Amino acid sequence: MDTLINLADGLAAALTPQNLMWAFLGVLLGTAVGVLPGMGSAMAVALLLPVTFRLDPTSAFILFAGVYYGGMFGGATTSILLNTPGQASSIATTYEGHKMALKGRAAQALGTAVIGSFVASVIGTLVVALFAPVMVSFALNFGPGEYFALTVFSFVAVAAVVSGSVVRGIASLLIGLAIGFVGIDGQSGAARFDFGSSSMLDGIDIVIVTVGLLALGEVLYIAARGKSAPNFAAIRTGRPWLGRKDLRRSWKPWLRGTAMGSAFGPIPGSGAEIPTFLSLGLERKLAERRERRTGEKSEFGQGAIEGVAGPESANNSSAAGTMVPLLGLGLPTSATAAIMLAAFQQYGLQPGPVLFERNADLVWTLLASLLIGSVLLLVINLPFAPLWAKLLKLPKPYLYAGITLFSVLAVYAINTSVTHLVMLLAIALLGLGMRTFGVPVAPALIGVVLGPIAETEFRRALAASSGDPSILVGSGISIGLYVLVLIAALVPLISLVRRRSAARRAEARETADRV
Amino acid sequence: MTSDDTRVSAEAAETAGTGGTDEAPTVEAAEDLRADVDQTTGTDEAEALDPETSVWRGPTAWVIPALVAVLGAVALWGGLTIEAPPNATRPGPGAFPGTVGVLLLVTAVCMTVVNLRNRNTGDGTSTLGWFESRPVLLVLAGLVVHVALLEFVGWLLAGALLFWIVAYAFGARAYLRDAIVALSMSAAVQVGFSLGLGLSLPGGFLEMVL
Repeated sequence: MDTLINLADGLAAALTPQNLMWAFLGVLLGTAVGVLPGMGSAMAVALLLPVTFRLDPTSAFILFAGVYYGGMFGGATTSILLNTPGQASSIATTYEGHKMALKGRAAQALGTAVIGSFVASVIGTLVVALFAPVMVSFALNFGPGEYFALTVFSFVAVAAVVSGSVVRGIASLLIGLAIGFVGIDGQSGAARFDFGSSSMLDGIDIVIVTVGLLALGEVLYIAARGKSAPNFAAIRTGRPWLGRKDLRRSWKPWLRGTAMGSAFGPIPGSGAEIPTFLSLGLERKLAERRERRTGEKSEFGQGAIEGVAGPESANNSSAAGTMVPLLGLGLPTSATAAIMLAAFQQYGLQPGPVLFERNADLVWTLLASLLIGSVLLLVINLPFAPLWAKLLKLPKPYLYAGITLFSVLAVYAINTSVTHLVMLLAIALLGLGMRTFGVPVAPALIGVVLGPIAETEFRRALAASSGDPSILVGSGISIGLYVLVLIAALVPLISLVRRRSAARRAEARETADRV
Repeated sequence: MTSDDTRVSAEAAETAGTGGTDEAPTVEAAEDLRADVDQTTGTDEAEALDPETSVWRGPTAWVIPALVAVLGAVALWGGLTIEAPPNATRPGPGAFPGTVGVLLLVTAVCMTVVNLRNRNTGDGTSTLGWFESRPVLLVLAGLVVHVALLEFVGWLLAGALLFWIVAYAFGARAYLRDAIVALSMSAAVQVGFSLGLGLSLPGGFLEMVL
């Protein structure tokens, strides 16, 4: 009950006209960026990070929450209309969503995606509000040893899951960790990897890494793709709306997708893709069973609305779910969450149990703003989805020139120094290389953000035990976490294999259809 | 929000609420869509080359392993040579970089093994046939020029030049229109940032002239 009262207080604090404006702006920007292929909400948050230093923390996080949710939905729009998912979490939507569009049911596909996202966001946020305090009371028992185990857990989980190849995922994580070493060592004060440059002593700012790897790296990559880059020819659509029959078929997948996303969101490294694919698979199985039992024909493979409703709810509720470990433990489980953690740190706030005690009002306002964000998501996207599709008609040269300009601006704005722009160039080249050779960038981001935390906790633990390493496995919590590390390494591998075979089956069906 | 927009959203909310009995807009949309479908079928080819799942072949296969190995060597070297202050507790500041360096080198070895194993599969040509270096070099050149000029000619001109070069790299050829768009973008950013956020971007020599 306390939770609901706190949430109501947060809602009262968040519902100022000014904050509403930030939430509105966030959803707007998030959707706009999410619509652009290859650009997810992580990039939008990265580009906004330096701008928000001028805002107070509450407004900044409300803006970010809006961007996060908006980006999730923006990705669905292009998946459905153009068969080009804007980010990994909307890949599952393409299978049935684009088929619906081809059958002239784009409006219904968008409608079920918008409303599904809304339902999932609201329920997901309530789940977060209920579970974050539980996680906090659990985390209060954590010492440095446990925190180190936790970071190891998320390293392993992230590196093993996000990539098609585990070796590439681990390489990316290690590159991120290496970047994180640059600068003065917080524990001993020794200068590390400064290469004689005084501006390297402060370390490589997280904004430089995110903007370089995500935004500028992507621009270079698209330039390299040249003619083979996805060509978003103009597609138009009606206003999203749902008939009674579509609603009847959608509401159960919404709830099932939401449940899956909420369950997987808080698990480090699981990301939003796994629940979306699980949801797609589940809906397909259920439709087949329904066909056998009642004779209602399964539309899977020809544009089934269930195949859009389920995955789209799953990715939004898992976006909400990632807030549980972020706020409760200070543990980011996705690239966007990693950048949000960096944003907290820029304000001198450390997410985790202490944040709940010292800045409780901020936390509840943030949770409430997630609710506001989901309402705005519905308000903005239900009527304007066709407009978003028009964004793709912007001349491509201007689009990418604009992104380049804002990337440079974002980095220059941190501390008006040209040296940082040179670092940005180097990181952008690294990003281009990683993309070209298919090395995922998300593990690198997690490495940059979590690496220093892992090192600090490790060394604090050993300092506390005067060098006795048994402190690292000294409690049930850390042993449990290391067991989870093993599970985290194995389970995603199994589901990766299953997902691949599912994708292959879908592909086979597609080619069969074409013939 | 204009009055037009509010009308649209009110209408949409209504159709969503009543379950939508009005068929007219969707029929129209379906026709629009059908007309456009033919143009979008080309995206299927682009999907065929997903770098994350493709195997590295040819000489370029060694780029990432080499990069990882070099990073590993630097991290290991740093880990061994960082001077810890005398009062530092153990493990000192070099322990983590050293460990990560070793792990990077191990990863590079793993990649080498994978590459050697894949060497005899496929037709020996690089999987990077799609890579177009010209636009990439143009964008990079634009960035270098921007960084070099920023503090001399000011944000307005340096930013506009960057925009123009990147647009050119992506195939824009309406030079005059591009220049006008570039200048207005750059100017909008400068005005927006100095008025809205109180952030000063370098004015360059224009500041002295004006």
